[in-house]
Amino acid sequence: MRDRKALVAVLLVAAAAVYAAGSSSARTNDHRGGTLKLLAKAAGGTLDPQVNYTLEYWQLYQASYDGLLAFKKAGGNAAFDVVPDLASGYKIRNGGKTWVFNLRKGIKFSNGQPLTTKDVVASFQRIFKVKSPTSGSFYQGIIGASKCLKTPATCTLAGGVIGNAKNNTVTINLTAPDPEFKYKLAVPHASIVPANSPASDAGTKPLPTTGAYYFASYDPNKALVMKRNPYFKEWSHAAMPAGYPDQITQSYGLTVESQITAIENGQADWTLEAPPADRLNELGTKHADQTHVETLTAFWYAPMNVNIPPFNSLKARQAVNYAIDRNALVKIFGGPKLAVPSCQVLPPGFPGNKPYCPYTKNPGTKWSAPDVAKAKKLVQESGQKGAKVVVISPDDEVQKAVGVYLASVLNQIGFKASSKTISGNIAFTYAQNTKNKVQINVQQWYQDYPAASDFLNVLFGCDSFHPGSDSSINMAGFCNKPIDKQMHRALKLEQTNFPAANALWAKIDHQVTDQAPMATLFTPRHIDFVSKRVGNFVFSKQFYWLVDQSWVQ
Amino acid sequence: MSGAIVGEVPAEAGDLAAVAVGPWQLARRRLLRNRVALGMAGLLVVIVVLCLCAPLYADHVAHTDPFRSNVSGTTIVNGKPVPVMKSSTQGLGLGVTPIGPTWDIHHYFLGADEQGRDVAARLLYGGRNSLLIGTSAALITCFLALLVGGVAGFFGGIVDGVLSRILDVVWAFPVYLLAISLSTVLIARGLSFGPIHLTSGSLLLPIAIIGLVYIPYVARPIRGEVLSIRRREFVEAAIGLGASNWRLLWSDVLPNVITTAIVLFPLMLAIDMLTEAALSFLSIGVQEPNASWGTIILDGQDVLYTRPAVALAPGIAIALTVLALNVLGDGIRDALDPRAKLRRTDS
Amino acid sequence: MIRFVAHRFVSMLFVLFSISVLAFLIFFATPGVDPAARIAGRNADQATLRAVRHDFGLDKPLPVRYALMMKKLFVTRDLTSYVNRGAKVIPQVTQAAPVTLSLVFGAAIIWVLASIGMGMLAGVFRGKPIDTVVMVVGLIGISMPVFWLGEVVNLFTQSRLHGSVFSWVPPLGYVPFSHSPFGWFKSLIFPWLTLSILYIGIYARVLRSAIVEAQEEDYVRTARAKGLTERRVLFRHALRTSLIGFVSLFGLDFGALVGGGALLTEVVFNLHGVGKLTYDSLQNLDLPVILATVIYAAFFVVVANAVVDLVYAWLDPRVRRA
Repeated sequence: MRDRKALVAVLLVAAAAVYAAGSSSARTNDHRGGTLKLLAKAAGGTLDPQVNYTLEYWQLYQASYDGLLAFKKAGGNAAFDVVPDLASGYKIRNGGKTWVFNLRKGIKFSNGQPLTTKDVVASFQRIFKVKSPTSGSFYQGIIGASKCLKTPATCTLAGGVIGNAKNNTVTINLTAPDPEFKYKLAVPHASIVPANSPASDAGTKPLPTTGAYYFASYDPNKALVMKRNPYFKEWSHAAMPAGYPDQITQSYGLTVESQITAIENGQADWTLEAPPADRLNELGTKHADQTHVETLTAFWYAPMNVNIPPFNSLKARQAVNYAIDRNALVKIFGGPKLAVPSCQVLPPGFPGNKPYCPYTKNPGTKWSAPDVAKAKKLVQESGQKGAKVVVISPDDEVQKAVGVYLASVLNQIGFKASSKTISGNIAFTYAQNTKNKVQINVQQWYQDYPAASDFLNVLFGCDSFHPGSDSSINMAGFCNKPIDKQMHRALKLEQTNFPAANALWAKIDHQVTDQAPMATLFTPRHIDFVSKRVGNFVFSKQFYWLVDQSWVQ
Repeated sequence: MSGAIVGEVPAEAGDLAAVAVGPWQLARRRLLRNRVALGMAGLLVVIVVLCLCAPLYADHVAHTDPFRSNVSGTTIVNGKPVPVMKSSTQGLGLGVTPIGPTWDIHHYFLGADEQGRDVAARLLYGGRNSLLIGTSAALITCFLALLVGGVAGFFGGIVDGVLSRILDVVWAFPVYLLAISLSTVLIARGLSFGPIHLTSGSLLLPIAIIGLVYIPYVARPIRGEVLSIRRREFVEAAIGLGASNWRLLWSDVLPNVITTAIVLFPLMLAIDMLTEAALSFLSIGVQEPNASWGTIILDGQDVLYTRPAVALAPGIAIALTVLALNVLGDGIRDALDPRAKLRRTDS
Repeated sequence: MIRFVAHRFVSMLFVLFSISVLAFLIFFATPGVDPAARIAGRNADQATLRAVRHDFGLDKPLPVRYALMMKKLFVTRDLTSYVNRGAKVIPQVTQAAPVTLSLVFGAAIIWVLASIGMGMLAGVFRGKPIDTVVMVVGLIGISMPVFWLGEVVNLFTQSRLHGSVFSWVPPLGYVPFSHSPFGWFKSLIFPWLTLSILYIGIYARVLRSAIVEAQEEDYVRTARAKGLTERRVLFRHALRTSLIGFVSLFGLDFGALVGGGALLTEVVFNLHGVGKLTYDSLQNLDLPVILATVIYAAFFVVVANAVVDLVYAWLDPRVRRA
């Protein structure tokens, strides 16, 4: 009798132990599940991956849409590597003019449709049909593209993108070798979407995805919801890893101050917006373990219009560069931990960057202090003393403060300056149009992909200057023929000798800095503030925080 | 009410003599006897004088230029030099905090804003602009509303119909859109209306916008009053006697309606100052380098969590000024009420 | 009566038409608003720019553009936003309307009741200390900018005292009544109070001075002479005509608020109502949404004016006879 009871007791205890072990392991199981709650001030426009050009959604596309190639989903500089994604591999032939991709088998879209070579070909045609912003700047090298740019509706890219269903390959033929082409295939504008997608901007109707998540709903006034793609099976952890949360939502409308408070209260997990200046100290002290600071390949600068007075004078432009106290601007931005003074175009650590700063008390490689006396002298010599200057800036907190400060500095050295703000949504296009006669404004530039041409050629090349157009990204209107020739040489050199090309870019960077079509201000650092429950924070230098690689439970 | 009875002649002997004096002089005397209203008038005078002395304060007392960024500057607190904008050194070392109120009128009395500028000095300069804008806009509103409301109420018919519809359009007008558009357009070039030249930073812009937008608000009550006055016997009688319309408007209707306008004036001043704050808060009111209490509140939003003084000070300044204006307005109303002649003076 | 309504209906159409034309013209006179460049994205090709502009119909002359937009808005009702492509404008407005109505009705009830109470108190006890106290309290309310007050309220309810006194306050935003009536109430209580503080002071003053004036009027003195109690005099006679000024002002204010006039309150408290929609569309310079919200707001203003005129005639028989 006693043995029986003892046996039952032992069995019960054993059963309890097994149960406890089982359930606790279920609880600490691989962190999958839960809903990640993101916040933003406003929606980011169209959800169509081939049209949208905002960081807000590019950050979400990395977990949802795939291209033939993709940037590696890893932290730090590894994120600049391009790895095969929907293609299992590729070969480059014909001196760099022919790219042949082998398409992976067995991949399905989030609506169950299988991925075929037809979808790939149709997607490249669609880039032109929907008038993607980069159709003319990134993809004009594909054979047939020039015809497509003229008549987008009937785009066939004949001879340019050829699909072979039997071999399951896609061949892309270029008019000239382009070593940057792999990057261009990895950005969301080259996402592969179903062949039967509408031939116009999809707007608020999400297109099916191939990646770990799909877009379940999108209301630009309220929220966006992403759910796990039921047809997704991880085929490459580097290109498209499976994600942790079951659902990701992004809600719109809260003011930035309230967003920070919501995250502190645990009511949300992250915000797209930069924390306001008066919360930074609070975040850095009370929530230091939830605050992540990362250096960016970007720069804040003030382009100066070289075609109208007073900045059509080289001496006046150099004077501005000498007079700006970049430390003060660093303070305005949030302190020395968040920004580093800079004088040149290419950010530190960028391919082609050689530290250089002529506009300081002791010229050399680093900025140390402003030289106001020299600046005043230069203004005197330029003959522009007393000229009226208007500093334009968007009306958000930090950019407005930078604009106010710049106006103050200009007044100090002898100009009659005032700062004006414009609604953030039109400031960018307003500043580009020469009709608005903008003399100096506050700008930032973040890389599209890690190539020096993305900074120098795009911002200061003659090809980027279109007078009278709202899209003239060369806001300084800078067109220096000798420097432009060098830029074309460097682009060509990239096809054969990358290191030599970078050395040439470094020289061009210094030359442009000497001509001062802009006043570089500083290199910004990026702050991500997450809630307590967010774990495994991974920051990719290309697309910033890898949203789905963090867990919430 | 102490039960004044109909038709009772005022008991105070002094008033008997006053009956022979005109209504305006009577009103003045009544106002002068209202101590609370006088106190508020005094407060207003103090505020206005302080604001007008802004340049004196900035140059000779605080020794600061409140329109120049001073991000890297220093000031003296308790005899020791301290940076105006202090970088955080704790934790991750993020953020830069401006100096808080020092309560020392020579050095950053109310602290610094996000550009390192002296808030107290800016508050005084800002007051000048806020008062100027509020007063000018209220004058424009009351004057034009008297005109429009008077004409509409008096003539009735088609004139009233057209004017009322125009007032509807003005009241429903997308003011913020106009303000955004105007401020953007004027950055590149100015606008000219005869002798008036508008540039982007001109104060005439918010004055005109605010003044014009509130005309319907004042014109409607005035129109209503004119409508009811029009039907009164003395007006009918005057018309019967053959008086011309304009003469009637001027000599009979206007004096009765003007008290309404006068009473509404301080109310409109208050509303206009608040509207100016709202427009400046949206960056479409007063522009840099000018400051107003509204722009300082906007500046204060940026440092609300660490230096609430920057936002509180102009808010309190507006509240005090508006309070004083309204109490004074009440006093004026009490003094001007024509029926006061028949009332006991314990009111 | 029919003639009055017909007459006002025609003038309403006129007002709406003028407002929409004015908004349209002002928009296109503003530099930098071309949606094509903003949609085409940064560093867009000139050909791309031209193609996008053609998509929007922006290469057509102004009157044609206006007519097309009005047709899309009223006839086919499929007008879409310039900034959030594909998002239809009319559903945005109809979804935002209940939020604004909840905010405005609640605030109106609070401010009407409070101002009637305060106004009567001050008017009846005129000259005594309570008169001054009541008026000053009201005045403080109207002296504060609403956006500032809202931010300060949030500072306390969401941040500083959120852990203790205000832990019951939900995160900023609107909870639909159908989801949870109690949640709806909790999410709106502070917006109601903030918005009504702005108006209580004004209305209490108007009512007070109207009561004081009315008490001197002949017909009130007649009523008193007839021997009616003070209370009867106040309520049935003095109050009736005092209400004229009150109603007139209320009509204008309420009409403007329903149409989206409380935009700063909605923004500060994250209530996605018509006011916030207006504010966002202005920030984005999104013409279709601007037009829709401007016409929506104008409609209510005009209707409110017409209703006020009707009520005015009903309340003051002297005007009715005219």
